[in-house]
Amino acid sequence: MTAVLTIAKDEWRFWLRSKLALAVVAVFALVLVAVSLLTGLRMHAEAHARAGHQADSEETFLAQPDRHPHRMVHYGHYVFRSPAPLAMFDPGLDSVTGQAMFLEGHRQNSATFSAAAASADAGGLTWLTPALVYQVFAPLLIIVLGHGAVVRERESRALAPLLAQGLSGRTLLAGKALALSLFAALLLTPLVVSAAVSLGSGESLLAAASLVGVYLLYLLVWAGLTLLVSSALEKRATVIAGLAASWLAITLVLPAVAVNVSSRAAPLAGKIETDLTMLTEERDLGDGHDVDDSVYDKLQAELLEEYGVQRVKDLDINIRGILAEMAEAKLTNTLNVYADRRMQAERRQARVLVQHGWLTPALAVATASRALSGTDLDHYHRFLQQAEALRIDFVQGLNRAHAEELTYIDDINRNRDAASWERARVDAANWQVLDEFRFETASAGQRLSNAGSTITMLMTWLVALAIALGWQSGRLRP
Amino acid sequence: METSSKLQAESLKIHRSGKEVLSGISFSVNSSEVYALLGGNGAGKSTTLLSFLGFLTPSGGRVTVNGVSVADNLQAARKAIAYLPESASLYEHLDAYENLRYFLELARVSFDDSALDAALDRVSLNPDARARRLKDYSKGMRQKVAIALAILRDTDILLLDEPTSGLDPSAIDEFHDLARNLADSGKTLLMVTHDVYGACQVADRIGLLRRGQLVGEFSAPDGGRIETDTVHRAFSDSESGKARVT
Repeated sequence: MTAVLTIAKDEWRFWLRSKLALAVVAVFALVLVAVSLLTGLRMHAEAHARAGHQADSEETFLAQPDRHPHRMVHYGHYVFRSPAPLAMFDPGLDSVTGQAMFLEGHRQNSATFSAAAASADAGGLTWLTPALVYQVFAPLLIIVLGHGAVVRERESRALAPLLAQGLSGRTLLAGKALALSLFAALLLTPLVVSAAVSLGSGESLLAAASLVGVYLLYLLVWAGLTLLVSSALEKRATVIAGLAASWLAITLVLPAVAVNVSSRAAPLAGKIETDLTMLTEERDLGDGHDVDDSVYDKLQAELLEEYGVQRVKDLDINIRGILAEMAEAKLTNTLNVYADRRMQAERRQARVLVQHGWLTPALAVATASRALSGTDLDHYHRFLQQAEALRIDFVQGLNRAHAEELTYIDDINRNRDAASWERARVDAANWQVLDEFRFETASAGQRLSNAGSTITMLMTWLVALAIALGWQSGRLRP
Repeated sequence: METSSKLQAESLKIHRSGKEVLSGISFSVNSSEVYALLGGNGAGKSTTLLSFLGFLTPSGGRVTVNGVSVADNLQAARKAIAYLPESASLYEHLDAYENLRYFLELARVSFDDSALDAALDRVSLNPDARARRLKDYSKGMRQKVAIALAILRDTDILLLDEPTSGLDPSAIDEFHDLARNLADSGKTLLMVTHDVYGACQVADRIGLLRRGQLVGEFSAPDGGRIETDTVHRAFSDSESGKARVT
């Protein structure tokens, strides 16, 4: 163990005395700190703005005067998705999925953007985030510092006397691995700071710590790969070429290929054709605004029988409100079937994409990072589901007010004159059916569970590299 | 097992990349002896040294260190040997003291700082240079640090690969003195070289290696040196393939 520490200490001493190594680390540190700061400030501003918009939207809805309740159903309401605390580190799909949604009766609106693109996104380079810096550029830094770990000894012919004096290859590689691992851990400092800040914003310790752990695993994979190549090849130029090719393949090429493959393997139905099919089904459900629509004849007969009256206008409740409530429920069931189908297709495509993490740890860590940060596809779906739950709740609340607070006679006569128009309003207190909307991320345990398969991939990579290094240490020659 | 042969090659055959590099050579190096393996490029000199260190596995025959087969106890062989590769390979980012400390710590040799200075004094390394990083050292100065390391490790056996290659004449003389001095103090030295003059200056025995075969061996007379002309002629003949020297 002493020899391992001695080797690790000397490796650090070499780096600290290398101007190139120090310059590269300084540049990286500068980029990482700047990106962390900028992304943190940006996401903080986003969170603040969205919370403000949400409060304004709720205030505006509740401040509406006495009105016909169905006008309020169509007046609608906006909801905003507040970014999760860890989004300051990994905004994930935040930049490509819609964050606001307009909620109204009879419709499930999109969140401003094509969900198909979100499900297949692997992290473009258009927006540099701390997560992307760690996923793409931190491995480069490990390569810059670690590529010479063994090949430098071999080329300078120091490896021969080292091994010749009884030092085992296993001890040598263990020392080098320890040095690189400590460096990888040090690279995580900005992430640890971000994670600590997120705790202050309400993030759970489990999620924050898991995120740090996942990136540690990822960087250790790179340290292992760097060391393996450095010890297996004889020339520094070959080592650099091999590692550069690996970096390109793992961080850029394979993730892009994976997106293409998953799009082909699990395609999503086009929005236009889906909407047309859905519209056809909606027509068959009848028009909830029209009491005379034959689709609702049975309901009308049942109500008349239940209340023991012959005519609709003799009912104690407003049948127009009841019909609106019933039509909304049936329509929502149909819309939910399509929404579930779409989400399942997106999840299926995402699952195919994630399987490529066995080939590229960059994809595995990106997926785990988003899951733990609460910025993945699952959380986008949660937003849609939570928004829909709020929509159906307040729309049906208004329909209930329509049925109970407004008489059928006043309702159908509302356009007769000004006085009738006034009588067809209900008290604004009924708008209180609208609940507050605060987007809830999954629990830390759930997020960790969602990231489980990708964490397994990273651990498998690490174990495989450890085995390969163990094997390589036995055949290490000058 | 006690034996006077510190190093022994018995019918040693080595193949590298499918090619026979050593073709069943046999020789031994006795205690307190300087043995020089002399040969041209590609003769198999360095290969012979590497086989004593266990870096190459014989395809035939065997090598022993202190009477123990290297194949049977590699670590014991390596512990007994100090190896100085060609162009003494130390760390340029470290100074002389740091280099010595690093290698000694890894060899698990206990030492104190005064021992470092004593060893560096013995190899005549300028005290002003000792705290400077090796990137500013000449080849001869690096060679001295490497030999100081061998002294500090206090191994019985030193394997030297082209120890005078690239050294200036005065550094070569210094090295020869040091090598003799080490042998006289009980160390066993096996050096490989293509320097006929140097080998004759310092060696008790010289083995002439050509294309993987030991084609001749010369011994110094009691109290004398091996005659340079004889070896030089044999070396030239052997390189031109004219004769086998006995």
